[in-house]
Amino acid sequence: MTHVAWRLFRRALVNLWRAPLPSLLAVVTIALALFLGAALAFSLASARALLASWGAQPAVTAYLDPRLSADEARATAERVRAAAPDAAFTFVSPAQALDRLRVQLGELGGALDGLPRNPLPATVELDPGRGDPRALAERVAKVEGVADVDYGREWSDRLEALAGVLRGFGTASLALVGLAALLVVANTIRLAVYARRDEIEIMKLVGATDGYVRAPFLLEGALQGLSGAALAAAGLLAIQRLVLPRAAAAFSFAAGVPAPHLAPEHCALLATAGALVGLCGSYLAVARSLRT
Amino acid sequence: MIQLFHVTKRWSDDPPVLDDVTLQVEKGEFVWLTGPSGAGKTTLLRLLFCADEPTSGQIVVNGRNLNRLERGGVPTVRRNIGVVFQDFKLLPNRTALENVGYALEVLGASEAQIRERAHKRLAQVGLGDKAASLPERMSGGEQQRVAIARALVNDPAILLADEPTGNLDASLTESILQLLFDANARGATVVVATHDRGLLGKHRRRTIQLHHGKVTGDA
Repeated sequence: MTHVAWRLFRRALVNLWRAPLPSLLAVVTIALALFLGAALAFSLASARALLASWGAQPAVTAYLDPRLSADEARATAERVRAAAPDAAFTFVSPAQALDRLRVQLGELGGALDGLPRNPLPATVELDPGRGDPRALAERVAKVEGVADVDYGREWSDRLEALAGVLRGFGTASLALVGLAALLVVANTIRLAVYARRDEIEIMKLVGATDGYVRAPFLLEGALQGLSGAALAAAGLLAIQRLVLPRAAAAFSFAAGVPAPHLAPEHCALLATAGALVGLCGSYLAVARSLRT
Repeated sequence: MIQLFHVTKRWSDDPPVLDDVTLQVEKGEFVWLTGPSGAGKTTLLRLLFCADEPTSGQIVVNGRNLNRLERGGVPTVRRNIGVVFQDFKLLPNRTALENVGYALEVLGASEAQIRERAHKRLAQVGLGDKAASLPERMSGGEQQRVAIARALVNDPAILLADEPTGNLDASLTESILQLLFDANARGATVVVATHDRGLLGKHRRRTIQLHHGKVTGDA
């Protein structure tokens, strides 16, 4: 059986070689679909990590009146602690807040050294644990000396909802691009089947089974899919090496969130998806041709 | 070896191409199938190698009822039938050897077996020195001999030939017919469709006459 498999594989390679343009079109389409799909998946994963990091920050932040002296700020913080006895409590002085911002801004943090005075107020960060952050925020807002209360999860919830919409849109777009790739492969193989209809007729005449006739076309589809996956992986690696490092510097607010990384298992997934798209496309084309 | 019982073949509402044909061909027979163009000769042959299905009636080939054949069983039937066409049906981008070996490829034979048996058949039809030639560089007679070698390379029990000499001149016709007679002498059942009455007179064998899809003579 090995020599039969090798013969069919060799025939698939020869057939691809004989019709390079349609094959190239199919490969590029599959590569594009896989590239877009993977890029979307990585973007969503990064967005989720970013939201998680934001969501991990204290749910309620009380900004103290910036006119308060250090001692008054401490006293106000104690009143806040008394108003929220069940919440985890952290006092952040203006100096500490500036240090945090400097770290978050990364390379751009040096710009803060030029400020004539520290513009950041003292804050109290409260984590209600399983408690209701909205009720806590309302209680803390009434404490004397508290200028403003930021209910952080409100934003993260909105962003999460936005991410959900984007995820749905992305999945639908991906399905459409995948379908387009499938149809292009199916049409490419259909053209190949049409071009080789005499050969198929003779194959069947001398007793070839449908499986034997079908096999080289399926292999062609799978090879196109694998080539498309390799091209998509190369594109993603190029983005990872060339574009992401610059993007990381530009988006310093995302510091601490791991950058997307194309791991070997992702490559395996791309190869599997590419081969499946190629196989399904060619199966559709050949099944129809064999019926006729 | 071949039996047809009340076989009719009709395309949509047109008059039947074959009309209630009943006949039998014994193992090892050589049979001429004759009649004018449109008599139904090609259709009858196509039914025998499962290229078409009868509208009604039963066909038994080599002990198998073709009406009861599943799609998956068709290749098995065809592997026992060699078919030769008027237009040769050779693959233009393959050498004579590859064209002949094609019939063995689909059976899963090894490269060495394919080379050996295809070479042997080509030598048998007098084309031992043309193994590496492409069909376009061969004469019509040579191409038909390659087609016959391909049809015979599996040692099929039945050989069907549809106007095998239709495109050839008289001198080549005789050499091609001799190959068919040789195959018959080696035990194959041979059915040759032709409208050339000269051939029938020169080589007297059982002759089935078709006219408008009906058997009008069998002698």
